[in-house]
Amino acid sequence: MNPEILYLFVIPAVAAIAIFLFGSRSPLYREGIAVLGSALAFLLSLHIVVYTTRGKVFSLFEDELRMDALGGLVAGLVALIGLIAVIYSIPYMQKEVEKGVVSSQRLRSYYGWIMLFISSMLFATTTNNIIMLWVIIEGTTLASVILVAFYWNRNALEAGYKYAMLLTVGITFALFGCILLYSGASPHIQSGVNPLKITEIAKISAKIPKSVVLLSLALLLAGFGTKSGMIPFHTWLPDAHAEAPTPVSALLSGVMIKVGVYALIRTVTVFYPVYPETIKLCIVVLGILTMLVGIFMALMQDDLKRLLAYSSVSQIGYIITGLGVGTYLGIYGGLFHLLNHTLFKALLFLCVGAVASVAGTRLIHELGGLGRKMPVTGLCFLVGALAIGGIPFFNGFMSKLTIFLACAKAEMLWATVAAVVTSLLTLFCLLHAAYRVFMGKGVAAADHANEAIKEVSPLMWGGMVVLALLCFATGVFPQMVFPILDESTKAISAMAAAP
Amino acid sequence: MEEYAKLISTLSLSLIITSYLVIELRNLRHSAYAYILQALLMCTLFVIFARRNPGLYYWALTAFVTKVLIIPYLLLRYIRKTTDREFQPLIGHFGSIILVSLIILILYRVTHHYIEFLAPTPSAMQEPFRTNLAVSLTVFILGLYCILSRRDAIKTVHGLLVLENGVHLSLVSLAPLLRETALIGIVTDVVVAAYLLLYIILGVFEKFGSTDTFQLKGLRW
Repeated sequence: MNPEILYLFVIPAVAAIAIFLFGSRSPLYREGIAVLGSALAFLLSLHIVVYTTRGKVFSLFEDELRMDALGGLVAGLVALIGLIAVIYSIPYMQKEVEKGVVSSQRLRSYYGWIMLFISSMLFATTTNNIIMLWVIIEGTTLASVILVAFYWNRNALEAGYKYAMLLTVGITFALFGCILLYSGASPHIQSGVNPLKITEIAKISAKIPKSVVLLSLALLLAGFGTKSGMIPFHTWLPDAHAEAPTPVSALLSGVMIKVGVYALIRTVTVFYPVYPETIKLCIVVLGILTMLVGIFMALMQDDLKRLLAYSSVSQIGYIITGLGVGTYLGIYGGLFHLLNHTLFKALLFLCVGAVASVAGTRLIHELGGLGRKMPVTGLCFLVGALAIGGIPFFNGFMSKLTIFLACAKAEMLWATVAAVVTSLLTLFCLLHAAYRVFMGKGVAAADHANEAIKEVSPLMWGGMVVLALLCFATGVFPQMVFPILDESTKAISAMAAAP
Repeated sequence: MEEYAKLISTLSLSLIITSYLVIELRNLRHSAYAYILQALLMCTLFVIFARRNPGLYYWALTAFVTKVLIIPYLLLRYIRKTTDREFQPLIGHFGSIILVSLIILILYRVTHHYIEFLAPTPSAMQEPFRTNLAVSLTVFILGLYCILSRRDAIKTVHGLLVLENGVHLSLVSLAPLLRETALIGIVTDVVVAAYLLLYIILGVFEKFGSTDTFQLKGLRW
């Protein structure tokens, strides 16, 4: 009995209910409860990460809720970015109210939904029930629909409609896949197998008919792949990530798509020992296509947030490629990049939010020379750009290198070449954007609001600095995160090797 | 089950016909009524299957509350707030009827004949589960067709609901022992998804002046 994993998602959910009920009274009942709820969830996640890193598996309700190192890793990232996003939201949303973009009455709804969103993502990392996993993954979409359409203008409504419709349709394929897996495992009930539990399905993965497994995996890849932003199901991602308020974009790009990857890992990797080559090659090809299409689309963008969103598609390609290779090195690299991408993509989104908040635009051609007026934001963006570009001493370097090596060792040199090319293009894309926005000459919008352009509040840059330091620290001391990544990789391999 | 074989076949066929009506009726209100009829048929089918597996009585009750009462209430409420005339679809009436008929004929025949590729258990390959699976897959694809071919945002929600009905129908054959909690979780997601989509579509109607999804082109590339 480990009730911690229950409290982990119940606390933010209770905070959300309290905000919906009392949030209109004063900021203390709104921002205060949100910060308190996300801080408690973060502390709890730290506790869980410490123990899961040591090999402990948290379990509750006869393994209905179960959290190993992989669950701990994703929950820790969700709680960290959740706390930073909530704190960042306080000055950010206040400024949106001052600008008249959002009415102050709607802040209650904003903080309520953001806490529900965080709670749903944390819940997803704890469940061991295959049907409930689907229910909660769809729940993360539903909890964020109103946040995506929050500005309630034409673009936000378009993004909200596409987001809700595409993800709901896409994820329904995964429901079919989950039901088929449950059904395939159900004839073994007599031998004591509970077909609802993922850990139990893993035990009999070799006994499920091949046609059913292949059909389920195709459906799961389509369904949870849509959630992760995998090609060709990525079309919702740039719209939603660009039109949502920036702290929500950081959550969507930083952690929500990782929860989709988490669901993929949980359901697909259990069949690795049974049908390794077919599944792995298919996933690596999808990963490579995702990284290439993502970065080419990112290069064409003038809107900073759309650029980052397409870059997220590309980086998800790295994670999927690493996991698809399926070896210890590949899975380790995939998980390492999952962690790193969470840190630097959340950082980059928060920097762009700071720029858009003071300059009033996020179009690259309208920006320039902001570095002198916003040195902390500029420096943080540069750290994020170097990290995502895979420059040594920043975290992206080590995880990308691990994935390159894993592909090469698995005799997939074509995948290594594609990944290296994508990395170079990513570096060019992000450094070019950093140069245009923070260096160069100040133009149009920046000049127009010259007096107003100054460094953002410490509540905003504080989170950015923490993430930038983590990007740097993980890059210089990659062994720092080795225990949790090693234990997570072993947890995946152990479950996959169950038969 | 054998004594109900004919009734099950008739109900299953009726489910395909009601999906057809939901898609092809141009008046959104009438389309919603066809959806209610489909939901009622689903509940009846659950009750018949429940004679063999009493747990399905809860499913019938859950389906009745969500699919016959809550979702239609939401649909009709938001249709009243927007418009009940479907925006001209991508494929004309005549073309759509031919296409839908072809989808039904081919898909039903193929899935019914090659059920062993889809059915994970020997019992799911036997009648009446064989027919049930073929029907659920046909209904699922019809829902997908509706979403892809319709310009009207509310009509795409109808399509989504038909698609979800297809999946829920397959549960009878694939997961008859599924606990009520999991089923309630699944249908709650559908209800909330329908509500949020309709809520956003109302916003679209207010800002764009129509529910035509072709107007949602601001965020290309």
